Amino acid sequence: MFNFLLFIVLLTFFSFNGKKRVRNNLKVLMLGWEFPPFFAGGVGMVCYHLTRALCQQGIELTYVMPFGPTMMRSDYMKLLIADNLFPRMRFQLKEVHTLLGAYATSESYDQDLKKYLVSASPGGRAKALYGPNVFQEAYLFAEKVKLIATLEDFDVIHAHDHWTFPAAIAAKKASGKPLVVHVHITEFDKSGGVGVDQRVYDIERKGMEEADLVIAISNFIKQRLINSYGVPEWKIRVVYNAAEPPNNDVDHDASRIKETDKIVLFIGRVTLQKGPDYFVEAAKKVLDIDPNVKFILGGTGDMLPRMIERVAQLGLADKFIFPGFLNREEVMKLNKIADVFVMPSVSEPFGLVPLEAMAQETPAIISKQSGVSEVLNHVLKVDFWDVNDMANKILAVLHYGTLNRQLKQHGLVEVRNMTWDKPASKCVEIYSEMLRMRSGK
Amino acid sequence: MVSICFYFQVHQPFRLRKFSVFDIGNNSNYFDDHKNNEVMKKVAAKCYIPTNKVLLNLIKRYNGKFRVSFSISGVALEQFERYAPEVLHSFRELAKTGCVEFLNETYYHSLSYLYDKDEFKQQVLLHRDKIHELFGQEAKVFRNTELIFNNELANFIQGLGYEGILAEGADHILGWRSPNFVYTPKTADKMKLLLKNYKLSDDIAFRFSNKSWEEHPLTATKFSRWVSANNGNGNVVNLFMDYETFGEHQWKDTGIFDFLEHLPEELFKHPDNDFVTVSEAIKRYPAVAEMDMHNFVSWADVERDLSAWLGNPLQNSAAHELYKLGQMVKSSGDKKLIDDWRKLTTSDHMYYMCIKWFSDGDVHKYFNPYDSPYEGFISFMNVLNDIAIRIRDITKKNVTISDDYESAPKPFASSTKASCGIGNAQGKIMMSESPSQVASMFIDHEDNINKVFEKR
Repeated sequence: MFNFLLFIVLLTFFSFNGKKRVRNNLKVLMLGWEFPPFFAGGVGMVCYHLTRALCQQGIELTYVMPFGPTMMRSDYMKLLIADNLFPRMRFQLKEVHTLLGAYATSESYDQDLKKYLVSASPGGRAKALYGPNVFQEAYLFAEKVKLIATLEDFDVIHAHDHWTFPAAIAAKKASGKPLVVHVHITEFDKSGGVGVDQRVYDIERKGMEEADLVIAISNFIKQRLINSYGVPEWKIRVVYNAAEPPNNDVDHDASRIKETDKIVLFIGRVTLQKGPDYFVEAAKKVLDIDPNVKFILGGTGDMLPRMIERVAQLGLADKFIFPGFLNREEVMKLNKIADVFVMPSVSEPFGLVPLEAMAQETPAIISKQSGVSEVLNHVLKVDFWDVNDMANKILAVLHYGTLNRQLKQHGLVEVRNMTWDKPASKCVEIYSEMLRMRSGK
Repeated sequence: MVSICFYFQVHQPFRLRKFSVFDIGNNSNYFDDHKNNEVMKKVAAKCYIPTNKVLLNLIKRYNGKFRVSFSISGVALEQFERYAPEVLHSFRELAKTGCVEFLNETYYHSLSYLYDKDEFKQQVLLHRDKIHELFGQEAKVFRNTELIFNNELANFIQGLGYEGILAEGADHILGWRSPNFVYTPKTADKMKLLLKNYKLSDDIAFRFSNKSWEEHPLTATKFSRWVSANNGNGNVVNLFMDYETFGEHQWKDTGIFDFLEHLPEELFKHPDNDFVTVSEAIKRYPAVAEMDMHNFVSWADVERDLSAWLGNPLQNSAAHELYKLGQMVKSSGDKKLIDDWRKLTTSDHMYYMCIKWFSDGDVHKYFNPYDSPYEGFISFMNVLNDIAIRIRDITKKNVTISDDYESAPKPFASSTKASCGIGNAQGKIMMSESPSQVASMFIDHEDNINKVFEKR
């Protein structure tokens, strides 16, 4: 009985929405597992920037995610949290108020976001988002989205990362609208090809098969999809991520270390995929030639203890600093202080970290085995395994002042030009393409 | 009477291998012998051998009426000797016909005039000797690296005894004048100046295979019509280009060889046309006016100035550090060291560090053996550090490469953009063109180059 009432309420609410809708704008139903402030990694921030830019281009966006704090809202788009709309537990009338609350707008959104980013740890959020029941959650999410899809009005579906794929497929089936899936990372890249979780692989593959088009965030990922997932090339569109809008809040912290030493910086998860071990080996080679360099290995991860041991083994304990987990402000400060930033990733679907360094006028050395190396010109590129070349380039940037300055200057300009309107425009093109494909049939 | 003056530039640098910081002090092999060998063999097969063959046939067929000029850099000649002796043989065959003239340039195809006039002079004399040794000619006409030219250079060259010199007929210098006449450079009144007709030259060198060019396809008939149209309007038509136009920049399947083979026949259809070498051009025709080129001009890129090699701090810094070592290198007396250092003066090394246009398809990128101009800079500077160590070992004098050359003094005082007004020419100002008008007169090289060159 109550379920029936809920259904009626929802039906009326969706039909008589207070917002005025202009008929000729494209409407997109977007599915994401994360969204700030409830996010655990880069994908959440990417979704935030992308949705913002899409709305600026006149797209009417409804963003649906599985869980989040009940007070979560967006001031520029409709944000639905499936778990709050359809709680698994008993339905109560007050939940209806909650769902009415989800449509309200809030001016304090950005301030809340900033506060959250500064204080909360990603570990807790990650546990909440990707707990042991995540498969179950994905299928539950699919059930809820199926319902939303019959009630919401939209032209296309855009789904981020594989946990949303079952829901995306359900939405497509329920509404008959075209679907584009947006691949940010694959299970293959996460596992390094060893011990691929078959269940995850199946979800990824099915999503890409059912989709009308597939967005890959780099050619690197595109090749992975062709080679390891059997996705035909014609179906894939590459849309590169952009950089964070500039933030000049960081004052130039002239750290004391810099009076005697140069600083080489690594920031990232200390895990196989990010190549911290190559960073350490390159450090040894650099220090053999120039001892006045300090290496900062920032971040946490499963390989951290091993890295500390290796550094001790090499006799470099006094040359390394392991600050552990760093919040956003600390990251920005370190980026500003560092003389050179190194991203030695073994396999990186895109790689936003060097962009943050370049935005703070720090030259970057990046692995060629990354998506971002396809778009950047004013960086130095190395093969992640080529420790000699990595050391060679670190020393060149530290010693050749002209090179250092050129990379700083041009790097900053390059990153400033990587604005989110560009990938947003590409997405709009892709939406139009899908609609044309449909009408062509 | 219109005399067609063909001049072909032949050059190959000694490319550097990837020289890392760990090589400094440990390994003084700077040059990528394997790559240089590979490139030489490839270009010989696609360009030098077949084109020389075409020219030889044309010379024989027209009984000496078909005549051309070449300048071959010293480093290219060395590489012929080392990697492709049959190419050298084929050029000597051409020399023997008496219809082919060889010019002089800097042996190492360098920018030394801008930095060290002593070194420049030595490189010119070295080249003069080499050309005489290989082809039995005493060159009377000179061309500087990449046709870099200004009044002072002309004066200097006159001092070395040359009678003629080549330069780019760039619009911002010519103004209302035509490149189809012989001129005299200001401050060098005993010399004659030949200016490249860039419109017609680039029709062959760049636009030939460009399908979106409205004149495509360019036939020998059509081209000779354009050339002959200058009758009564000019004395010479100076077609100056990179020899690799034939077979490398323009592949065989574009029909470039057929074009070349039929061109004399079509041109001779007009009885007033003939072919001349550079010396013949300057002997036959009087200079019609004085040409005042105070700022440096070159044949490179859209700007036709020095920015291709010295437009950015990387290039400035590297060039400055390089030439700083010159004195000490030469006073060391070590032949290998001097030869290595000189090979570094080849302008291509600077060219590779150009970050002017980082867009896809840029011509700088196509010829670049490095992944990026930054890599080029790093290898080059590491090599300089090794040279510094060798100097130290031999002369026991301390030498350091300055790692911080932000404001390296540019070798030329005034700006690289020549003035567009023709106020300093003899006679009245006929037309004064604004920079934007002049700029719009430049044919859009970038787009055309994109479609033409292949990656080396």
